Amino acid sequence: MSPEPRSRGGNMAAPSNLYTVILALALAAVAAVAIFVAYKCYVQYDTIFGGV
Amino acid sequence: MSTLTKILIVLLTISSIFLCGIVVTYVANADNYKKLYEDERQAKQLAVTRRDAADKQLEQSKKQYEQQEDKLNKQITALKADVTTLGGQLASVKRENAELLQRVTDMASVVESASQTAKQQTQLFKDAQEQLKQLEARQTRQGKELDETVAELIAKTAIIETLESDKKRLEEEKYALQSELDKFLRQRGKEVSFVPTVTPEVAPAPPPIPSVPREIGLKAVITAVDLKHAIAEISIGAAHGVKEGMKFFVTRGSQFVCEIVIFSVDAETSVGDLKRMDQLQPKVGDNVSTNL
Repeated sequence: MSPEPRSRGGNMAAPSNLYTVILALALAAVAAVAIFVAYKCYVQYDTIFGGV
Repeated sequence: MSTLTKILIVLLTISSIFLCGIVVTYVANADNYKKLYEDERQAKQLAVTRRDAADKQLEQSKKQYEQQEDKLNKQITALKADVTTLGGQLASVKRENAELLQRVTDMASVVESASQTAKQQTQLFKDAQEQLKQLEARQTRQGKELDETVAELIAKTAIIETLESDKKRLEEEKYALQSELDKFLRQRGKEVSFVPTVTPEVAPAPPPIPSVPREIGLKAVITAVDLKHAIAEISIGAAHGVKEGMKFFVTRGSQFVCEIVIFSVDAETSVGDLKRMDQLQPKVGDNVSTNL
């Protein structure tokens, strides 16, 4: 893990994008799973959230 | 960004990916319950339809069963009536069978008696033939004797004629001598004396003594009996001396049975009326005789 740049003297240091990418990857995985689950629900039950 | 935040981000990402994998795996392997439900519902509907059809078929089968039962009950009733009728017919047929068996037994006894009678008749026929042969032999012998007797009679007749002529000639000579003797005695002056004939006069033959019917002892047996017409046939006939009107006594052992008055005579058999038939009835084989 690379050391994170610190702001010195009030200057804003550029944040590392690595954790953002990790978060984005996690979000994408969750979204993909949600889409997959929604697709499966729609295909099998003709609805996404259930109900009569 | 603090280290803790970073750690949380990493953990969040790892857990998210892990959970996402679990969810994807679960969803991918989960059963399609709707499809299963639809299948089950269709199966249920099909089962209900089959049950309705089975119920209808059951009702039809029940109706058919009832109809068949009614029909069979009617047939059973008819068959019971037939069985009753056939039972009556069977009983009557059994009675007829018993009667026919009895008749067959009677006919067998009749046939046996007839065969026995035929044997007796055959034996009588043989005996009659034997007697006929004997009679023919006797007739032949008597014919010869008759011829010899006729020849002897002719010879004796010739002798008698010769003797008659001699007798006439002697009588003529006797008359001639008598006349000469008369002449001689008259010449001598003596009376004529009657000279008796040497041959005495033959007294007339006495009238024939009426022949007294001798007591003949004919014996025979009864060969046939007809009780309905009260007549019977015996085993002797004209060849044995039987004549119409003769009376025979029928006995069985030491018992008197009846009398038979002959009205028809053949050569070897005779037939007569049954008389004085009181207690016993005559039958074939009973003894018959003219004298008790």
